[in-house]
Amino acid sequence: MTDPDIGSMETEMNRGFLQILVLALLEKDMYGYSMVKHIEGLGYKVEENTLYPLLRRLEKNGWITSKWALGEDRPRKFYAITADGRAMKAGLLEVWDNQNRILNEIKKENVHVQ
Amino acid sequence: MSNKLEAYLDEISHFLSGREEREEILSEIRSHILEKAAAEHGETGDAAIDKAIAAYGPARKVAEKYLDGRPIIAPAYKRTLFRYTTFLFAIHSFLTVIAVVFKEDFIFFPFLFMPRLGVIEALMYLPTAFLTDLGVVALVLFFITQSGKDVKLPWPKFAVDLDEVKPPNKNFFLSRIGTAVGAVVMLAITDFALYLFAKHHTIFFVNLDFANPRPLFTPGAGRRLSMIVIAMLAASTMALLIKLFTRSRWVDVGSDIVSLGLIGLLLRQPFDGLFAAEIAGRLLPKIQYWAKYTLLITLLFIAGTVTIDLIKNLVIIGRKKLAKSA
Repeated sequence: MTDPDIGSMETEMNRGFLQILVLALLEKDMYGYSMVKHIEGLGYKVEENTLYPLLRRLEKNGWITSKWALGEDRPRKFYAITADGRAMKAGLLEVWDNQNRILNEIKKENVHVQ
Repeated sequence: MSNKLEAYLDEISHFLSGREEREEILSEIRSHILEKAAAEHGETGDAAIDKAIAAYGPARKVAEKYLDGRPIIAPAYKRTLFRYTTFLFAIHSFLTVIAVVFKEDFIFFPFLFMPRLGVIEALMYLPTAFLTDLGVVALVLFFITQSGKDVKLPWPKFAVDLDEVKPPNKNFFLSRIGTAVGAVVMLAITDFALYLFAKHHTIFFVNLDFANPRPLFTPGAGRRLSMIVIAMLAASTMALLIKLFTRSRWVDVGSDIVSLGLIGLLLRQPFDGLFAAEIAGRLLPKIQYWAKYTLLITLLFIAGTVTIDLIKNLVIIGRKKLAKSA
């Protein structure tokens, strides 16, 4: 059996996962590049050109806020989660936990079948 | 500031044209690339920025990530686009035939202006009409899509099922028996017509006595009409022969267009003084009166049938293309 090409499926799955990931990360203020590096440090890779449009959508929905900090060597845009964002994150994590539980149940059932 | 970075941002800016937050987006990208160049290459020179830009991705791809909103036309209306365009074009084609036949221009203000057209002008006009119809329908569907409302557009049931796309018959020889028989019959008819024309300069007669045939039309009209009808027979024969080797609907489309052109030429022939003097006698005025309109209506009916067939073939071709691209 050849290895399945999971590229496009992974992209679809990442779409939802990235939103939870970013909302979870922004419990402390971060700027874009620091988020990319932090995520890489956790063993996951996020495309840089995907992160910024996502941050923009989250901000538009009122789940995060942003502000430019001009005091450093160069201007950096810092992002932070809002109260609405926290509520959204809690809801999404609940969905995520439930999906995980269902998949684990099915995996257990399949083990018994085999 | 790096010229390369500014050129890259300019390119992204071009693809983001019209977006309110464009400047803000460009500032975010600028900040990220400078940050990355400094952090990973220890400098913000051209070489470091080049690497950071390459990692960020092509300008168009970057811009598209911000433009992934509503499509221009919702997928649910893709079929409607083709159906409505076909419907409008059918009306347009019919009105074009009318304009050619009656040699008049007319206006349905503010929807349509149909200029007085000759056959050649009409053939040139129809593609333009098709593009206009496509544009109008696309515009309406664009506004419906942008409104975000679930508009259920009506579609009348026609006698001709435009949705029908028959599955191909697997057996090559069986599927072509009918076509082969048709091609042989048409070839025989065309040859016979050519033989008659070569011998008598017409293919229309009032009697079946080939030793002493009496032509139906005057010599000039008989020759012209015969040549057009022989051309129509030859076009149909040619289409059937080609269809022995290919299933392409474009063959039918080509045949229909040629037929429409030839019917147009027929309709442009003067109908007065058409019949030969020998058969006219005292009945001539009466015969001319009903024959003229019967001929006209018959030709219009044939033109209508060919137009429907043409549109049906175009719809099936379009649907197949849509199915392939889906």
